[in-house]
Amino acid sequence: MQKILALLLIPLTFHVSLGQARKIAFTEYDLDNGLHVILHQDNTTPIVAVTVLYHVGSKNEDPNRTGFAHFFEHLLFEGTENIPRGQIDKYIRNAGGTLNAYTTQDRTFYHEVLPSNQLALGLWIESERMLHAKIDSVGVETQREVVKEEKRQRIDNQPYMSFQYELFSRAFKEHPYRWITIGSLEHLNEATLDEFIDFYKTFYVPQNATLSIAGDIDINEAKRLVDLYFKDIPRGPGEVPRPTVVEPPQKQEIRDIVYDNIQLPAVFQGYHIPADGTDEAYAVDMLNRLLSGGQSSRMYKALVDEQKKALAVQAFPYPLTDPGLYIVLALPNVGVDIDDLEKAMDAEIEKVKQELISESEFQKIRNQVESQFVQQNSSMAGIAERLAIYHAHFGDANLINTEIDRYLKVTREDIRRVAQKYLTRENRVVLHYLPKSAQRKPGTTQLEKE
Amino acid sequence: MKAYIVVLALILFAPTVYSQVDRTKAPEPGPAREIEIGDYQTFTLKNGLQVFVVENHKLPRVQFSLQLRHDAVYEGEKAGYVSMAGELLGTGTTNRSKAQLDEEVDFIGASLNTSASGIFASSLTKHTPKLLELMTDVLYNPAFNPDELEKIKTQTRSAIVANKEDPQAIASDVRNALVYGKDHPYGDLVTEKTIDAITLEDCKAYYQTYFRPNNAYLAIVGDIDLKTAKSLVNKHFGKWEKGTVPAPTYPTPQPPEKAFVAMVDRASAVQSVITVAHPVELKPGSPDAIKAGVMNNILGGGGLSSRLNQNLREHKAFTYGAYSSLSSDKLIGSFNAQVSVRNEVTDSAVVELLGELRRIRDERVDEAELASAKAHISGSFGRSLENPATIANFAINTAKYNLPDDYYDNYVKNVAAVTPEEVQAVAQKLIHPDRAYIILVGKASEVAPGLKRFGELKYFDIYGNPHTPADKASLPADVTAEKVITTYIEALGGVKNIDAIKSATTQNEATIQGMQLNIQSFWSAPNKLAVEISANGQLFQKVTCDGEKVSLFVMGNAAPVDDAMREQTLFDSYLVGERWFKEAGVSLELTGIEQVDGKDAYVVAYTYPSGSTSTAYFDKETGLKVKTVKTMQSPMGEVMQTSTYSDYIEKAGVLFPQTVVQTAGPQTITIKMTSMEVNVPVADDKFVIN
Repeated sequence: MQKILALLLIPLTFHVSLGQARKIAFTEYDLDNGLHVILHQDNTTPIVAVTVLYHVGSKNEDPNRTGFAHFFEHLLFEGTENIPRGQIDKYIRNAGGTLNAYTTQDRTFYHEVLPSNQLALGLWIESERMLHAKIDSVGVETQREVVKEEKRQRIDNQPYMSFQYELFSRAFKEHPYRWITIGSLEHLNEATLDEFIDFYKTFYVPQNATLSIAGDIDINEAKRLVDLYFKDIPRGPGEVPRPTVVEPPQKQEIRDIVYDNIQLPAVFQGYHIPADGTDEAYAVDMLNRLLSGGQSSRMYKALVDEQKKALAVQAFPYPLTDPGLYIVLALPNVGVDIDDLEKAMDAEIEKVKQELISESEFQKIRNQVESQFVQQNSSMAGIAERLAIYHAHFGDANLINTEIDRYLKVTREDIRRVAQKYLTRENRVVLHYLPKSAQRKPGTTQLEKE
Repeated sequence: MKAYIVVLALILFAPTVYSQVDRTKAPEPGPAREIEIGDYQTFTLKNGLQVFVVENHKLPRVQFSLQLRHDAVYEGEKAGYVSMAGELLGTGTTNRSKAQLDEEVDFIGASLNTSASGIFASSLTKHTPKLLELMTDVLYNPAFNPDELEKIKTQTRSAIVANKEDPQAIASDVRNALVYGKDHPYGDLVTEKTIDAITLEDCKAYYQTYFRPNNAYLAIVGDIDLKTAKSLVNKHFGKWEKGTVPAPTYPTPQPPEKAFVAMVDRASAVQSVITVAHPVELKPGSPDAIKAGVMNNILGGGGLSSRLNQNLREHKAFTYGAYSSLSSDKLIGSFNAQVSVRNEVTDSAVVELLGELRRIRDERVDEAELASAKAHISGSFGRSLENPATIANFAINTAKYNLPDDYYDNYVKNVAAVTPEEVQAVAQKLIHPDRAYIILVGKASEVAPGLKRFGELKYFDIYGNPHTPADKASLPADVTAEKVITTYIEALGGVKNIDAIKSATTQNEATIQGMQLNIQSFWSAPNKLAVEISANGQLFQKVTCDGEKVSLFVMGNAAPVDDAMREQTLFDSYLVGERWFKEAGVSLELTGIEQVDGKDAYVVAYTYPSGSTSTAYFDKETGLKVKTVKTMQSPMGEVMQTSTYSDYIEKAGVLFPQTVVQTAGPQTITIKMTSMEVNVPVADDKFVIN
């Protein structure tokens, strides 16, 4: 009898402990102008995170004007009709806060963390940005230089960092993921001021934005302040354009060599995978943890520890809202042939396609997913950001509480199935990164096989 | 009726009119909410372990942070063993190999880290039993595997060798040696010699002496209640045996009577690293500590808006960044201001830096500057409280430094209360430009003359030992570059013996990034050379000189060879290049005397036919070449490549270095010659270049 009770208790305790994961309570609503507002109240610490997500990324760009979305992330720090150039930074610093922003293929995100009595300051700045940012030739000229420098420092001068461009430009023929967020400096140089203003009027409109606030607020007072600063911002005139292009399936393996300023060669593989938020994407994510999550993961153990073929190995699904890429990369140890290394990588992938993973490995990646899911909601900035992303990209802010179920629904069979379905040769781009010193004149062939 | 409508309209529209926001001005902040530091509870076990529990049930996770509380340990001739002991703890137990430990930690999605000052472990609440099992296995049963110690030593050695060429690291070492003195734990300097002296026993002894409950705090933070915490702590830490923990005292470091310039000469430097530093008696939590923090934030601790950056970066464009720090410490604190500038503006930068230190002493800060600094400090204090571990740290600090119980509760209030007068007073008390060490790491021949006005100019080596430089002016009149070279050739064994060697082969071993490399060299008179580097039995790199041309192959592919590399490789392809320097068209200039590894060495600059240059160092006593510095082109721009030569052995009457250590950027490679044969036949096809 006692034993039966104990058996019954096991699944129960599991549920209890999951139930302990704090539910993030939030309020959400739309203003008349279409701005979506999400409020999360947590009065533990007197700070507040104010964030605005614009549903515009590089995938919304004109193919002849790439880099616009990222350029705007810079431009919107310049100033507004009421905030002089360079002062956004100062206002936030003098209030004891911090601020930043980023751009991806799918979104542009601005955030401030402020003492909670400065909520109005954050709202004022963000509403100024949305209502009447200063888009003039001085700002455009200044930021062109800054972006040029950013590209030089972050991409051109970083070994291997061209991989994004090199993989995506080959993997995508139709879809705007074929160019990268930083885009083309030529396009930015050619663009007229009117084009910048037009982009602003098209995408920086309330109906294309999510204002997400988390922290030490009073919901009613926050609503009042949001109204005060955002209600009168006019709705944009038209529909916000979204790309509808569907990338046709890749039919055969794409393979190429990239010469870079590097000492050690590298293998980059990019596999087409389903869009974020789909059932299969969760399975791919679990598959990725199995292959590359930590020092005891399969790829690390096999390639780095046991076979000593790789100096480093990494893999990650690129989180994109349209179908994207799963990237696997490795650097060979000195003296290891790059083809040998690639074979060893393929062997690990082959294994996961052939054999069902063990119960214990499966439990390990579930534990890791759960641990990460729980810990990610530890800061107000993180909560505000995730609420905004879940709403804007998946139409369900409550995924912040329920997404774990989508992970835990994935079975061992699912993991094998997505490996079989997506980690195939026809479905991938393979790049060999070689040192520039290895580059020969055209005509000589090497490493061109299969 | 009409009037009624007007009234109605007024009422209806009134709220809208009033809610019209004035967009032209930044909104005023609301009343600041008082920052409340969360509660903690504390209890002490019989064995002396004091435990702090911060309950926070927001997330189902918990962390255990074991923190040792002793003052720093003076390590002296074995500097480095303390941190190695801490690192060793995490590399396996008598029950679990390192791989097993990693696997078990990963399995529950946890993290577990060790250091000389304690052990940190965290996981989801439900894995707490397993987490504590792993943590205490590490605490009670460390394996102290000698192989793991060797691994750590090797990594540390590489870091040290790289640091020898890193002006920032040199500046920091010399600063510590001067500010704290070499008889103080904060002045301890890890060198290759001290690493060699470290034994497994030293590490064990540190562990056995200091990892004691009566010398530790345990902070438990997260989803746990006091009762559970107590029972877990009793179970896992109750039987931990206390011990006698030594409490040595150290002399209190004093600032110099008068400011002086401590020059560390780097003949090849194009930038100067300027540091102004002195010890400061400032205890954590003392009445001055908060005022000092505000003052330093204005001076140089507040990022871009601080005075040092505004002056040296924004106005003068001397540098990418200038910073200052002011540390409070139980033993001894320090003030430290630092900036890196190009050679030409070195003395101007020192003028501006010292000028800012005087200004904050002599003038009252203005209200706006003060308000901005306070907002900056209070803002980051407020944000730090989001992490519940901050509360545990506050509790530990309160216990450790005997702070008033409400120290952190009143922190923001006390920051807000600081006045311009107090800022000035604390600056006058703590900042002493007239009694500071002005430490300069840079090219003495260019920058030293301009520095004498800041105080006496004294020279130091990279370990912070004073030495008397024999700069060019004080070189003995009879010493010339040619004479240095002649002495070198004599020291090697003389022209006759050198010329008698017609061919040679060597076998060498090296390790790079954990990979074993085999290096073979083949040489034939006068200057044909082939060097083959292989790893895992595969040829990785090959350099060939056929006496006229030079080629380089990397992984089977030809790599470009520029003029500098070609002419320098041609020169290096002689058995002893210096024997033939005239024939090779290399001109030499004696530029001074510098220290290499604590010994005086003549510095000779080489200029090759196309104008490229390198520098060689010859030991003053032995006459032997001990170091060369070359500049190489790399993807990251120009990189200095340094080679040091040691362990000379004799072969056929000529000395050859057995050990060559090469440093380029952060990378270090030690090449050991395992065998050498001379006057054996070497096939000429080894040197063929297609």
